[in-house]
Amino acid sequence: MLDNVTNTVARGDSTTLGQIKAEDQYLTFRMHDEIFGIAILRVREIIEYGKVTRVPMTPAYIKGVINLRGQVVPVIDLAYRFGLGSLNICDTSCIVIVEVQDGNEKIILGVVVDEVKEVRGMALKNIEAAPDFGARINPVYLSGVGKTKERFILLLDPASSLNIEELSDFAAMAEK
Amino acid sequence: MNLDSLKETFLLECEELLENMEKYLLTLEKTPDDSESVHALFRAVHTIKGSAGMFGYQNIVSFTHHVETMLDSLRQGKVAINSDIIAALLSAHDHINLLVDIDTGRKEGAVMNEKVAALGEDILQRLRGYFTKDTNTPSIRDSGQVVAVGKTSTPSNTAGIWHISLRFKPEVLKDGLDPYSFILYLKKIGELLSVYTVTDGLGDLNNTDPELFNLGFEIELQSAACREDILSVFEFLESDADIHIIAPDATEAEWNSLYRNLPEGEARARQIIAAAAAQSRKREILAADFRQVVSTVREKDSSVAENNRTAAKEEAVKKYIRIEAQKLDHLINLVGELVINAATVKQLAERRDDSDLQEAASAMSRLIEELRDNVMNVRMVQIGETFRRFERTVRDFSRELGKEITLEIEGGDTELDKNLIENITDPLMHLVRNAVDHGIEMPAEREATGKPRQATIRLNAYHDTGSIVIEVSDDGRGLNREKILAKALEKGMAQPGHAYSDNEIFQFILEPGFSTADKVTNISGRGVGMDVVRKNIENMRGTVEMETKTGKGTTFRIRLPLTLAIIDGFLVSVGENFYVIPLDMVIECVELSEEELAGGGDFLNLRGEVLPFLRLREFFQENTEDDGKRSVIVVNYGRHKAGLVVDSLLGESQTVIKPLGRLFDKLAGISGATILGSGDVAMILDVPRLIEKAIAKQEASHVR
Repeated sequence: MLDNVTNTVARGDSTTLGQIKAEDQYLTFRMHDEIFGIAILRVREIIEYGKVTRVPMTPAYIKGVINLRGQVVPVIDLAYRFGLGSLNICDTSCIVIVEVQDGNEKIILGVVVDEVKEVRGMALKNIEAAPDFGARINPVYLSGVGKTKERFILLLDPASSLNIEELSDFAAMAEK
Repeated sequence: MNLDSLKETFLLECEELLENMEKYLLTLEKTPDDSESVHALFRAVHTIKGSAGMFGYQNIVSFTHHVETMLDSLRQGKVAINSDIIAALLSAHDHINLLVDIDTGRKEGAVMNEKVAALGEDILQRLRGYFTKDTNTPSIRDSGQVVAVGKTSTPSNTAGIWHISLRFKPEVLKDGLDPYSFILYLKKIGELLSVYTVTDGLGDLNNTDPELFNLGFEIELQSAACREDILSVFEFLESDADIHIIAPDATEAEWNSLYRNLPEGEARARQIIAAAAAQSRKREILAADFRQVVSTVREKDSSVAENNRTAAKEEAVKKYIRIEAQKLDHLINLVGELVINAATVKQLAERRDDSDLQEAASAMSRLIEELRDNVMNVRMVQIGETFRRFERTVRDFSRELGKEITLEIEGGDTELDKNLIENITDPLMHLVRNAVDHGIEMPAEREATGKPRQATIRLNAYHDTGSIVIEVSDDGRGLNREKILAKALEKGMAQPGHAYSDNEIFQFILEPGFSTADKVTNISGRGVGMDVVRKNIENMRGTVEMETKTGKGTTFRIRLPLTLAIIDGFLVSVGENFYVIPLDMVIECVELSEEELAGGGDFLNLRGEVLPFLRLREFFQENTEDDGKRSVIVVNYGRHKAGLVVDSLLGESQTVIKPLGRLFDKLAGISGATILGSGDVAMILDVPRLIEKAIAKQEASHVR
């Protein structure tokens, strides 16, 4: 499964993608039983869930850090941050490595997910604004909801869901 | 070498020379009769002028030329140094700096305009005022006035070549005059292009009277001075010599009249002057080579002389190579990676039963360690240079405020990572400004409280248990606890009725927007600064402490890690995770079981000493199972000792600090991460802040 996706990401084509531009392509993945999407341009790579070193004295949404080819990269448990509860690590668990803009700097973060699904195009007409209520997730973290034949895909807004300023404010986050 | 890189070199040289100039001026202010500094000062300005000339930076050349002239009379002891002169010369220094900006285009938008010119003229006028008051050498003043800076952008071009014919009366020596000194003196108003000696009057050397002076001179002088100026040089000679001065724009008739008037007769006179002119041309041809030789010789001379001199002055001129900082950083990164890899190799070798391999691996490790130390050393810079910059700050600001302050510098030879030096300058500047403005009292107030009028601000740097300590202390009034508390209450930072410790009160002044100054001066008091100080220092994994005694003074103590890149660490494990404790902090390790630790609170009896300890397993909330074995690492931080209880000790390891990044900016107690030989990530503990945090947590629980 993972290999398929990685290949797809690498080649940037496939039957599912058709004529859709890279900007409109999303990597979809599962956290608990929700399907999320993140703009493919944000994704650097996907790795299997390996040894994550816990960083003491940090809130639970910080899973820890990994050694990514000599670079120490933090791993975030977004599910916990969204109030869906911590993820249990299983065979299909992966870490999606994403690039987040913080001021003038690009920061590399890992996001732990239960399972990586696919890369798929999402035409603008199929994306709707996140509903103010009804979803289990605070709509500020979403850039919209993508409609497919089977189900809704919650499209992450990296600027808010992976906001470094907010994530690094441990004291404030602990209070929440 | 293209022009750009030459220009770069010029700029670097200029910066250094200007820095030196400032340094020497400040030295002279304290010890006005330090002739070495006067000479060095002159040399600095002279070199700036020379180098600027090479690039055709006319504004610099024409301004420095005048400054140099005045410094020369300083050098010759014609004018006594006083603080006014120093002040004027300091402004001249600043002006040169500005002109460098303008001429080299170093700073965008810096252009030569009338304002700048007027400023320069102003400074020169001020200087001239000091330099002509005590001296009766009008030529200096006159030449200065003739070549007015700013009015003409290329004054040196207006300097024409004057011809001077001198025929001394034979009795000139008997009259107590030294012809040589007059010729020498011409150098002050211009450049001596050639001096041709006329020996016609000498006669038979065997029968000559050595007390008679039978020589004449044909001199070519390039100068912007006027005829009167040149004549005035020979003021005292008027009755002892025939002097003919031919202006640069002289007509043929004037020359003809010179030929006729010379004692050698017209025909011989033409020969003599032709010979003099030929000498001058020859000189021109040789000039290029000559200048090069002279400058090389001078360089050698001055570096030798300076070496001898400065050994005493602890500022030896060493040989330096300028390296792009980025190249060095890259090298250090590579060595860092190499250290990690060497650790892996060593570990792998130890697993095999191959003593040769193990030996080779450990030999390699040793070499790499040495390499690392050397590379790190390259980046170490003495802090003295940074400290000395504050002399000017203190001097200027104390004057502005009417205070009398001396700056004392200690530990200037303490070495610091270059990156740290760059980052520490701003915080230090804030602290020094604060000390001048808030800390130090007015002289009258000091006298009233029985203190010497002259206040002291001290900058000190030293190494202390794995960190570098930089202190900024003053002997001023100390911090006013009540005033700070009142202000904190007013700003809503403090709770009324709560008893605050000194340290807590100190924390208030590090908060953004906090200032107890009654009025805002342009030095400090705007409430920016102290929070910047804290932020900058925390970014360097450092801490700020403060000690204050009312009426006695305040000391700010900045504690910084030795380097930002690599540390020697002690590896321990807690639960499933590894932690590195900076080795400099570790005093000893003690193995203890849980039973031995239990009972009697979080204190341990270490050979009769009470040692507070922190259980990392609990503190880090490690819930993994374990065998109950515990070890205690006794650490030393600042002036305290504490024990850290860990699961097991894994020994020393070299550690390349990997920054944890912005996400962990606010995480106190962990200063970074590192990657072990096994590929595992280990956290590097920031012991002082970890313990601080533990204490804060404990205090919080006591309150409850």
